[in-house]
Amino acid sequence: MTTDVADFVVIGSGAAGATATLVLSEAGHEVAVLEEGPAVRAEDRGLGSSEAFMRLFRDRGTQVAMGRSVMPVLQGRCLGGTTVVNGAIVWRTPEDAYDRCFRAAGASDAIPLRELLARMDRIERDLSVAPAPDRLLGGNGTLMKIGAERLGWRAHAIRRNVVDCQGSGRCLEACPTRRKQSMEQTYLPRAAALGARLLPDHEVRLIETSAGRAVAVSGRRADGSGFRVAARKGVVLAASAIQSPGILWRSGIGPREHVGAHFHAHPGTAVAGIYKDPVRIWEGATQSYEVDEFRGEGFKMEVVGLPVELAGVRMPGMGEAFQRSMRDFPHMAVWGVQVRAEAEGTVRPRGDGTRITYTPSPADMVRFREGVKRLCELHFAAGAVRVYPGVHGGPDELTSPDQISRLDDLPLDPRDWSLITSHLFGTCRMSAREEDGVVDFGGAVWGASHLWVLDASVFPGNLGVNPQHTIMALAMLLAERIAA
Amino acid sequence: MRLGPGAQRRIAVALADVFGEPEDVALAVADFLDRYLQRVPFQAAIGLRAVVWAITWLPVLFVGIPLPVSALSPAARARYLERWAGSSLYFLREGFYLLKAISLMGWGAQPQVRARLGLGPMAALTDSVRA
Repeated sequence: MTTDVADFVVIGSGAAGATATLVLSEAGHEVAVLEEGPAVRAEDRGLGSSEAFMRLFRDRGTQVAMGRSVMPVLQGRCLGGTTVVNGAIVWRTPEDAYDRCFRAAGASDAIPLRELLARMDRIERDLSVAPAPDRLLGGNGTLMKIGAERLGWRAHAIRRNVVDCQGSGRCLEACPTRRKQSMEQTYLPRAAALGARLLPDHEVRLIETSAGRAVAVSGRRADGSGFRVAARKGVVLAASAIQSPGILWRSGIGPREHVGAHFHAHPGTAVAGIYKDPVRIWEGATQSYEVDEFRGEGFKMEVVGLPVELAGVRMPGMGEAFQRSMRDFPHMAVWGVQVRAEAEGTVRPRGDGTRITYTPSPADMVRFREGVKRLCELHFAAGAVRVYPGVHGGPDELTSPDQISRLDDLPLDPRDWSLITSHLFGTCRMSAREEDGVVDFGGAVWGASHLWVLDASVFPGNLGVNPQHTIMALAMLLAERIAA
Repeated sequence: MRLGPGAQRRIAVALADVFGEPEDVALAVADFLDRYLQRVPFQAAIGLRAVVWAITWLPVLFVGIPLPVSALSPAARARYLERWAGSSLYFLREGFYLLKAISLMGWGAQPQVRARLGLGPMAALTDSVRA
């Protein structure tokens, strides 16, 4: 097996890895970025959810968290990571989220909010971030806006990283027109132009250390052959809150009681409403509008432009009844509620991969119940004639706002709910003291040298807003310090 | 892992009832399931294959009829599938919804389904736009 060499080896090419790669390259370092998944080809884009799962998602879309219920955990697995298959949502870290996530952990001196915001300014320029204009709200977003205005709830168009978005509603399939400014479109090619080597189809299995210093990584290519890349100056781990702890664990690095522990997430569910006039959910930005009125209560609401094959999963009825439900698809709006869950789970190695264990707490389920009630209220305020709450044991459908009180008794057992999660944190959390976490406030792994973790796994708490922007700003800030 | 022709024909009968679709669409969805099983990781494939097997062969446990799902009368089949979907046992209910969710991806890709709903082709863009 031949050994390649670079100044820095970056593991993972998503929001954090791509940002770190760019920053280190701009500082004149020679960088090799290793991505387990494939490069995204033109012919991989906009092929529908099934092909997107097969080509661009981890475990072909079958990754789950096991707990009291089975919960899909969606992650991109391709050059650019989850930024390729997310909804292009960009949230500047709000002060309350910062306080909860970073200040509470004692990180405010090392990672001041103003420093994060300064990096966000650059990222927003680089990625052309702007609120979705009215023409891209589509019927789905416009109805949420109408409902929120009628109820007087705080709401706004989602800020997105796109250029001249065509509103094809296919963000989750890798933007077919390449308008989304995801990492494989932006930071990775810019880094490559500065000399960074982009190595897709390279799965890192181990980080090698010598006297505690990270000196190389090794693993296997998609064709099964082995590889090894030596790092002259260090290794940056940015493989996500699922993969980063797995790599550390396999490598025997980091404290066992914290590596893979403290897994946090934003589980979510969706409620569909049927409207008299056509909604045409497939037109407009996939995620164009959101309600953050209830962020203080632990949940927020977003438009979710689901394709017909995903929207149909929880539609009630079979046969002709199912057909009737799906005939309404052109009149359907789908909105999600995303909960800032207090539950902690774990990520542990299992066989060749990892096992995620996670169960929302009873308090989280109360938030879900309240969130679904609020979504129903919002749908009716926007003019829905029928709403599908989608919870087993509850009513199949509601036809007037008077019936929302029937949801007061919705079961709180996660097994009765269709939950899904995609925002993942905490499994290599940062800490002020070595005994409390995996990395220090600079991202350096406690007890190792020349090894940093820069992805969402280092978040010391649950952020509570869409995390890509915070992930990138934190990676940029810490990578600048490493580069210096 | 494969879903052989016989297994495809049998599960297609159930899928036709679930989705209210004619036989040709249901068979196309069953073919999609076969291709799906060949592409996903083994652990996921074995779970889905077990669900297909159980829904095909367990009417005797749910409605007391010792026949595969494809041989049930329409009324008995409807009763049988409703018992899966509405089961109070989580793993049974989720098994049914797993099959439904995966099958829907095949269903939603069918040109006649998309045309009926006023949707364009699944891969809507021309090569020139992609390039």
